[in-house]
Amino acid sequence: MGRKLLLEHINVPGINTLDVYRQNGGYRAVEKALKNLTPDEVVEEVKKSGLRGRGGAGFPTGMKWSFLAKPEGVARYMVCNADESEPGTFKDRYLMTHIPHALIEGMIISSFALGASTSYIYVRGEMMPQIRILERAIAEAKNAGFLGKNILGTGYDLELYVQPGGGAYICGEETALLESLEGKRGNPRIKPPFPAIAGLYGCPTVVNNVESIAAVVPIINDGGEEYAKIGIGRSTGTKLISASGNLVRPGVYEIELGLPVEEFIYSDEWCGGIANGKRLKATVAGGSSVPVLPANLTLKLANGEPRLMSYESLSEGGFATGTMLGSGGFIAFDEDQCIVRNTWNFSRFYHHESCGQCSPCREGTGWMEKVLHRLEYGHGKMSDIDLLVNVAKNIEGNTICPLGDAAAWPVASAIRHFRDEFEWHVNEPAKALKTNYGLANYAEPIAKAEVTTGN
Amino acid sequence: MSDKVKVTIDGITVEVAPGTSILNAARQIGGDIVPPAMCYYSKLEGSGGKCRTCIVKVSKGSEKDPRPMPKLVASCRTTVMDGMEVQNITSPEVIEARSGVVEMLLINHPLDCPVCDQAGECDLQNLGYEHGLQKTRYEFERRTFDRIDIGDKIQLHMNRCILCYRCVFTADQITNKRVHGILNRGDHSEISTYILAAVDNDFSGNVIDVCPVGALTDKTFRFRNRVWFTKPIDAHRDCPTCSGKVTLWYKGDDVLRVTARKDIYGEVEEFICNTCRFDKKKTSDWVIEHPTHISDASVIASNHYETLKPLPVIQNNPQLQQANKVELEKTAKF
Repeated sequence: MGRKLLLEHINVPGINTLDVYRQNGGYRAVEKALKNLTPDEVVEEVKKSGLRGRGGAGFPTGMKWSFLAKPEGVARYMVCNADESEPGTFKDRYLMTHIPHALIEGMIISSFALGASTSYIYVRGEMMPQIRILERAIAEAKNAGFLGKNILGTGYDLELYVQPGGGAYICGEETALLESLEGKRGNPRIKPPFPAIAGLYGCPTVVNNVESIAAVVPIINDGGEEYAKIGIGRSTGTKLISASGNLVRPGVYEIELGLPVEEFIYSDEWCGGIANGKRLKATVAGGSSVPVLPANLTLKLANGEPRLMSYESLSEGGFATGTMLGSGGFIAFDEDQCIVRNTWNFSRFYHHESCGQCSPCREGTGWMEKVLHRLEYGHGKMSDIDLLVNVAKNIEGNTICPLGDAAAWPVASAIRHFRDEFEWHVNEPAKALKTNYGLANYAEPIAKAEVTTGN
Repeated sequence: MSDKVKVTIDGITVEVAPGTSILNAARQIGGDIVPPAMCYYSKLEGSGGKCRTCIVKVSKGSEKDPRPMPKLVASCRTTVMDGMEVQNITSPEVIEARSGVVEMLLINHPLDCPVCDQAGECDLQNLGYEHGLQKTRYEFERRTFDRIDIGDKIQLHMNRCILCYRCVFTADQITNKRVHGILNRGDHSEISTYILAAVDNDFSGNVIDVCPVGALTDKTFRFRNRVWFTKPIDAHRDCPTCSGKVTLWYKGDDVLRVTARKDIYGEVEEFICNTCRFDKKKTSDWVIEHPTHISDASVIASNHYETLKPLPVIQNNPQLQQANKVELEKTAKF
């Protein structure tokens, strides 16, 4: 059994209340940080821990904190990004529902480290129950003296607010989130300037994912060096994985980074294999935005070594044979799933969620969706496949925010790895509506798959 | 440390003030290396970065940090660094990406240029001509909207809009009450007013001038004439609300429309008020200055014999040649 840091006490009854949380060691880290450490020492601990942003990009959190501009007389803000909307990712919601105090404790320490006296938790509008839970937890913490004026008699003041969003995926992009938080239309800003220089209301701001903030608690409790011992290489610590799809036991798992993917899928300790005795066809390893991989490349690297659940190992081989850890939304597809349909579904999502600010994403996502719809429903042409690759290429990298890339990658990777399935949809349109392509050679050993994946 | 930074664009070095964008540095050089801009408008704060046609490649970040930038960047919103090297038309990657963007801009555009009032002075038309493909690869129904009147002088034809946000910034920045903006999201977002409220203030007509396409048109000019049949003349009047410096567009003896004066990048020099634009359409209202200079590349320049051949009397007379030197050099350029 791997080590649990965030979900250690998840099964303790009443852990969502302050009393039970405190009995299980909660708010120890706040006391330690506020009473014994300076803000810079907290940042130093987080740097030592090697914690990387859990929201998707994997940028080192300590580094992000140290970039924060600290001009005199200007307020600084700490914002928690709880606008979790990536298809296939539901870890933050789980964490906020069951252990809201872990997030609040993390927020207090992070805000202290950054010198922010007002902090916000921006929660997606659909998560109304979680907003209520957080608000109740904040009230509890305030009564106990962990929030408000002069916390624990240290002279540090912090007000923490929960802000419901409108439910747009784009507001998970940090600058769009800040715009939305300011009460404007949630359009991403053009960077630079980065939020660390001019963020919320033009003041220096740090935006972190829920899980990154919660992970600060064990880092302060045990020390950054201790945290860095968990994991592998530059992927330190534990990560929440939202496992979904055709698995025997889908759900949220806390893994130590570096766990082999094969073990994660098939071990009874984790997902317990593919449901209904079927075989694995493909996976999306980090939420809908990352490239989809066939089974053979999911389990093994191109050179035959086992693939691990870590930032580096999942992206090994670049986009030709690799993917990304992303936000940890692990979706497994069994042999009966249609990759074309799934790609269409993803691209329908991005079409719906594009903010419409910059032209490649606004027009390109809709175009890809329409072409994929045509392919899926048997009206496709062979030239559509290359058209999709070209449109995806024209979107990728040419947009203001990463939503354009996120829309292009699943399409480009699906065609890269599953081109024969797309071709089958064109050649056998009637059949493709009734049956599906099946497993084909996607689970066969790598050496053979190499031919189909070359691009 | 000098207060100027050096930047090289397509092999041409220029010194500009720190904080200048790559696009504006390129405009200081001028010529073919200036990236096209559909949404950036130097007079409007916060504009730019949206259309992505001005993307360029930064092959060297700066003198201190010579690493190239990983992606193509929007030149209108990227500031120059000392020693930066930029590739625009010399980079095939940029040309390809830009034609991709142009294709994206055109897939939902109705391409109704034959009946569009903007034809002939349309930035998108020029851009499509320079970069676009001959054929579209888009085989689906284009999105359509109903035409709406915003006020009694302006019509909004959303089908043609490329969502550059220029009119939104204009309405926001040069007029004191903002009544129009963007509704909805993604490819069904539209420019609109709040529940069909009329845009009614002294400077609302400027949204017509800033529109790079034919989405916002002047109802006093709609379908009156093709722009290339009209003759632009610079004129001014004493206006209590604006500078009164305008361009009059003549057909015969009639002033068909009045617009603000535009520079070579299609940006207005000074915003004008609605009285000048919509109500003063008689020659007697204006003090005529001179014919407006129109770029020879523009279709409006056809039949404007600006590149004059010296008259026979001048050709034989060195004194007259000297006196007309400026004009003759202009001729020699071609």
